[in-house]
Amino acid sequence: MKYVLEIENVSKFFYGLTAIDDLTIRVKPGQIYGIIGPNGAGKTTLFNNVTGIYTPEKGTIKYKGVDITGMAPHKIAQMGVLRTFQNIRLFKEMSVAENIMAGYHTKSKQKWYHSIFHTPAYKKDEEAAWRKVEELMDFFNLTRLATTPTGDLSYGNQRKVEMARALAANPELLILDEPAAGLNENETKELTEIIRKISEMGIGIMMIEHDMEMVMSLTDYITVINFGKEISQGEPSFVQNDPRVIEAYIGSDDEDEDE
Amino acid sequence: MNKTSTIAAVFIAVMAVFPFLVDSAWLSIGITFLVFATVAFSQDIILGRAGVFNMGHAIFFGMGAYTTAILNVHFGLEIIETLPFAILFPAIIAILLAGPIIHLRGDYLLVATIGFNIIFEQVLKNDVFGLTGGPNGIFGIDVVRVFGYELWSDTAIYYMAFGLLIITLLIIRNLDRSKYGRALYYINKDEIAAKSMGINIPYYKLFAFALGAAIAGAAGSVFAIQYSAVSPESFSFMQSVMFFAIVLVGGSASLPGVLIGTFVMFVLPELFTEFKESRYLIFGAAMVLVMVLRPNGVWPAKFGIMPKFLKKKADGGDK
Repeated sequence: MKYVLEIENVSKFFYGLTAIDDLTIRVKPGQIYGIIGPNGAGKTTLFNNVTGIYTPEKGTIKYKGVDITGMAPHKIAQMGVLRTFQNIRLFKEMSVAENIMAGYHTKSKQKWYHSIFHTPAYKKDEEAAWRKVEELMDFFNLTRLATTPTGDLSYGNQRKVEMARALAANPELLILDEPAAGLNENETKELTEIIRKISEMGIGIMMIEHDMEMVMSLTDYITVINFGKEISQGEPSFVQNDPRVIEAYIGSDDEDEDE
Repeated sequence: MNKTSTIAAVFIAVMAVFPFLVDSAWLSIGITFLVFATVAFSQDIILGRAGVFNMGHAIFFGMGAYTTAILNVHFGLEIIETLPFAILFPAIIAILLAGPIIHLRGDYLLVATIGFNIIFEQVLKNDVFGLTGGPNGIFGIDVVRVFGYELWSDTAIYYMAFGLLIITLLIIRNLDRSKYGRALYYINKDEIAAKSMGINIPYYKLFAFALGAAIAGAAGSVFAIQYSAVSPESFSFMQSVMFFAIVLVGGSASLPGVLIGTFVMFVLPELFTEFKESRYLIFGAAMVLVMVLRPNGVWPAKFGIMPKFLKKKADGGDK
């Protein structure tokens, strides 16, 4: 398998406005792929097309060679495309462990009657599920917070829980929407290490990030978009010095929220 | 033992000896409490767990009661033989009714379920196929016979209702510790996050409907046995409002909350019989006050269900 994700000539329109214009992006297994661009460039819209929240009007999206264009979000997730959210979407009142467990949903083999009768098969499945949660909490250094409601956590820990939850599904493509937003320097450093480790497991990672220092040091390949269009593509060192990129950034207002 | 288990144990112990402590009037109030608590818990699966604004829960309660009544009175089945039908029929109808509307947003779904409840009441009142008996309902439901014994006393019926409530609590306990039960909570808390984790939202919501309807149907069967009669007004839209309010006033997905809610809505009026006529006034005021002062209910649910070994590790017990 050469590419875990192939976005081919994808366009998305909203009421005649072009949110994404003919984008082509290919992500390899184990690759960290950065999507950058000024606010409102269409980055989150692109992610929402890949995860099935939106259906593109033009082009195709393939995951491991299978066409997933326009598939329902839960089906795309079941196939192994998992994501985190720019605005953090955790189940706030629920504990860290329960939140991470949500990611294991697609891996669990429990049937409807296991919610009424706890058979030996149920016990085996349940045990394996919680062991996976335990393993992930250890990996993310969250074990001490297992019983804490996620709404009470710091921003940095919330971002980690979201990532752990996505990893519980054993994804082959992980989509991170501004993972470092709102984090301090130390938290960003810790997160960078974690993301690198995840990619070393062979998981393809596609991320939007505004922290340029992090993007340039972490990613293997970058696509820069502006007004939904690709303006540059290449390795960080190339993109950094591309005059079209510099122009797009200097010529834009960086204050507004994305989307 | 955690707090909820302790409360459940005390509650079960008190209710187990209750018939020996009270007179017959109180015994029948006890039966009513047990039956309505069971229905409230079944609504709590749909409303409190899945977060589906089902305002027609009396339909499933009524279907269970009418299934037992019709099969017994018109077709001569023993009460005990009607029970599987009183459980399965509401569950199947729940899937058929809720299926086409399950994708609707909360408020739209709520209106649709009200519509179903009104239609249901009309079906009962109009003696459809000569089975439902019209406005007066169906009389003369038989006593329960098991292995040649006739279980006609209120004490026997009390323990049937008690047994059903315990089974319901066990099902809910198991549900909360399963993939399906957790999926309902995730959907309730954040649908976008839930579907991004691979959860098929309509499927799990329908599962909640079917399970809730099945339990409500069983409770309806006991209700029919208690009064040896069924009539449409017991399953009206207003009754659905009561079950809806019990869950929200008591506390969604909270065992003590639903028990308190049921007690306030169905038992308190019996304590103050002189207020009985104005009970809706008192409920109305109580509902407004609780929602303003405690929007998550009198006794909100606590999360954090996980195996002991994880809790221990969190407390630093691994050191």
